[in-house]
Amino acid sequence: MNRDYLIFDIRRTLRNRRVLIFSMLMPIVLFLIFGITLPKDASEGGISAIAYVMVSMGMFGSMSAAMSSGGVIAAERDGGWNRTLRLTPLKPQAYVITKVLLSLLLAIPPLVVVFLAGLIFGHVHLSASQWITVALVSWLGALPFAAIGLVIGYVAKPDSVQPITGLATMLIAAFGGLWLPVSQMPSLMKHIAQLTPAYWTGQTSRSALTQSGLDTHALLVVLGWTVVLGMIGLRRFRADTARA
Amino acid sequence: MTTQTAVTLTGVTKKYGAVQAVAGVDLTIRAGEVVALLGPNGAGKSTTIEMLLGLVRPDQGSVQVYGGTPTDAIGAGQVGVMLQSGGIIEDAKVGELINLVAGLHKNPMPVGEALDRAGIADLADRKMKGLSGGQKQRVRFAMAIIPQPDLIVLDEPTTGMDVESRRDFWASMHAETARGRTVLFATHYLEEADAYADRVVLMRHGKVVADGTAAQIKASVSGRRIRATVPGADLAMLASLPGVRNVETRGDVVLLQCADSDDTLRYLLTNTSAHDIEVTSADLEDAVLAISAEQESAA
Repeated sequence: MNRDYLIFDIRRTLRNRRVLIFSMLMPIVLFLIFGITLPKDASEGGISAIAYVMVSMGMFGSMSAAMSSGGVIAAERDGGWNRTLRLTPLKPQAYVITKVLLSLLLAIPPLVVVFLAGLIFGHVHLSASQWITVALVSWLGALPFAAIGLVIGYVAKPDSVQPITGLATMLIAAFGGLWLPVSQMPSLMKHIAQLTPAYWTGQTSRSALTQSGLDTHALLVVLGWTVVLGMIGLRRFRADTARA
Repeated sequence: MTTQTAVTLTGVTKKYGAVQAVAGVDLTIRAGEVVALLGPNGAGKSTTIEMLLGLVRPDQGSVQVYGGTPTDAIGAGQVGVMLQSGGIIEDAKVGELINLVAGLHKNPMPVGEALDRAGIADLADRKMKGLSGGQKQRVRFAMAIIPQPDLIVLDEPTTGMDVESRRDFWASMHAETARGRTVLFATHYLEEADAYADRVVLMRHGKVVADGTAAQIKASVSGRRIRATVPGADLAMLASLPGVRNVETRGDVVLLQCADSDDTLRYLLTNTSAHDIEVTSADLEDAVLAISAEQESAA
């Protein structure tokens, strides 16, 4: 990764407050609508229902935020920025890692606000180590979505990137069981769910809350998605030399 | 400076669909040379530069930069590039952008120095999107020199600049060539090639049609063009005047290409009813036509 590039992108992102605020608003509203209205003693898969919804909406928020970086990449490419990068010694791997790290940073604010809402309004009770594990795992679960954002940024045009990202986010969240628990889906949907990275990130995050401990199988699937999508992003970066 | 070779293009071609953008270019640039790639729009200058930089892969032929591939030379920080348009981030501040580009290179000059040399130190806190075309070109220039490259490549660097910024730009550029850097710039202004290049490579229809000093190129385009309204002009008479090379008409308008326009003007004013007379210098297109015509008759 390139430190100067990451700092440059962080400063630009911080100036763009509307995007940051919106990334926090959406998941917290969804959490308040779906989470707070649940009966107090409801549970799902051995986890209190409200904690389950909190983790799902936290994941949804961090995933949308991570994927949103595709919009910036598409706009940069449209301005011929990739040519400039290609004319510097910056390595494609360093570029991809820098952009993925930026997406990971974007994934933090929505996660934090949803978890805070869970603590304050949802009265979610977890041990300190559970909080830390679920937060870390949910955060790193955004990795494949950071890579998806990168790939979208390389296939979409600036005017199509928003609808593509929006649709992809909704489909992945809905089919991956972030909005409705997979256990409550019909069996065909359950199979489809397993094709989305969101199912596996959700599994990994929620596994942090159960007695059985971290689901390493799910974790490996998440990492697999990240590596494959990251490689696609890398190839696209190498191929892209378009003029402004 | 050593006398090594900076750039070697050998039999390079590139076709886009049915358009042969570059139709076989051989070009060797020695270290320390300041070379203008001159030609009208569509001559293949930009495509040639893109192949030289490794942004476009030639259909045929080979490209070497400092003995290796363009990508190797760029990876080693030996090449600084100023693109014709785009290539910047509009919502970034000038200082941030230059600082970033410095961070992407291995041995950059201090950011403050690059800003000073490009004459944009006072713009460091301004956002790119608020800058004029000429100011943006200066930012691109700073991005080209910050790696302290051996070779600077500029694709039509003064496009969109007014006369004054163009002069300022070339003054900054001159300071770089004085440091012994090798420079290749594309332009469609003969005056720029004349004023700033040691060597002018003239392109047309994807080929190099002339390669020499600016004086050699200019010699083939000396002369003026006269445009005048002459009702009922005697074309044979006009064509026979000493110093007139070529006569064309568009209705009552007569176009004369002259080696010596003064005598022709004197004749027009005293012996004909010519009015609305304009005299212009022969332009690049004339130069290209003249040189191409010479080559065709020689072939």
